[in-house]
Amino acid sequence: MKIAVPAKGMTKADMADDRFGRAAYYVIYDSETKEVYGVENTAKDEVSGAGGQAVRLLDKEGVKVTLVPEVGPKALQAFKAFDIKAYTYGKDMTVEAAIEEYEAGKLQIVETESHDGHHGLRRA
Amino acid sequence: MKIAILSGKGGTGKTTLSMNLAYMLKHAVVVDADVEEPNLELFLKGHVERTLPVFKSYPVIDENKCTLCGACGDFCVYNALLPARKGVLIHKELCHDCGGCAVVCKQGAIHYEDRSIGTLTERKVLDYQSLYTGRLSVGEVSGVKIIETLKEIVAEEPFVLIDSPPGTSCATVAAVEDVDYAILVTEPTPFGLSDMKMVVEMLQNMSIPFGVVINKAGIGDDSVTLFCEINNISILGEIPFSKEYAAVYSRGGLLAEERSEYQDYLREMIKHFPLDIAEDAVGGDR
Repeated sequence: MKIAVPAKGMTKADMADDRFGRAAYYVIYDSETKEVYGVENTAKDEVSGAGGQAVRLLDKEGVKVTLVPEVGPKALQAFKAFDIKAYTYGKDMTVEAAIEEYEAGKLQIVETESHDGHHGLRRA
Repeated sequence: MKIAILSGKGGTGKTTLSMNLAYMLKHAVVVDADVEEPNLELFLKGHVERTLPVFKSYPVIDENKCTLCGACGDFCVYNALLPARKGVLIHKELCHDCGGCAVVCKQGAIHYEDRSIGTLTERKVLDYQSLYTGRLSVGEVSGVKIIETLKEIVAEEPFVLIDSPPGTSCATVAAVEDVDYAILVTEPTPFGLSDMKMVVEMLQNMSIPFGVVINKAGIGDDSVTLFCEINNISILGEIPFSKEYAAVYSRGGLLAEERSEYQDYLREMIKHFPLDIAEDAVGGDR
């Protein structure tokens, strides 16, 4: 099963990002093959709705679980629409540490949004 | 003749200049296009003639026809539609009402419905001048549709002053589009200059002639004046910074009504407009 983490870089050693939809990269970890790879977040500069597009991108990668710093209302709707589960991690964590905590069952699954939504890039 | 009053930085005095020009130029129809926070009506007092809702369309998907092909989601740059596994998620407030998704949908599964995003109010103010105010509802993303509606309503008016939103956003572009002249209000500070440069670039890209008014002159530095000289930008006038002026503003007063020297600043400013603009403007000079 593929697990995605928004990150500052493309490896497990990079820091997990404190934003989901506008993170620069996602590190994707396959829990069966232990394979790890990074993808660029092509949605990060969207004028609006970056979160939803990012979820769409992860769905295309076959991701089933996403670890997130926090999640807004539109991204949460999108996770549900794509049948992707979201779990929240804490601040200042590497991708590897977030994945370890997830695998140890320490992360909370997201049922409701943790903030009211951002306001795009103010170009709309 | 349509004149937009705008600024890069907020709080430079767009609205102050707009209301006082409106007072001086009795034949002007006034538009408050700063739809996120319209406030001209606090100064130009009068009575409401009518208030109308402004509608904007959003896409609705016929799930029986939709094949989840994703074409609408690929098309929409604002991500108002998100094709997912079980259906297409619609974010109404992100829709810019362009109509494109229905064109790219090969199944004919998209139609549009209307929703209200704000209001448009007409008032008669001062000596029976018209003031049109656009007001965007709280939580809405874009006021462009309201500004376009305001401009349709005043399209045939002979002389219009438009108080624009600050900055260089889509709303500002909508407010200044197709105007004959723009008055760029700035304060003589590094911050004022920095934001003003973006507006200068925007106006030049849109080929709109403009001049600069330095408000709150006496504070800051001379960087705005130097910038205008180097770039051959016309300075229409300067209005000095004054705590007394701020006090008049704070209680909702009109400086041109209360202070004769303020009228002189405005008359001097109008003289520096391009000839055709000035002629139209003084048609209703007090």
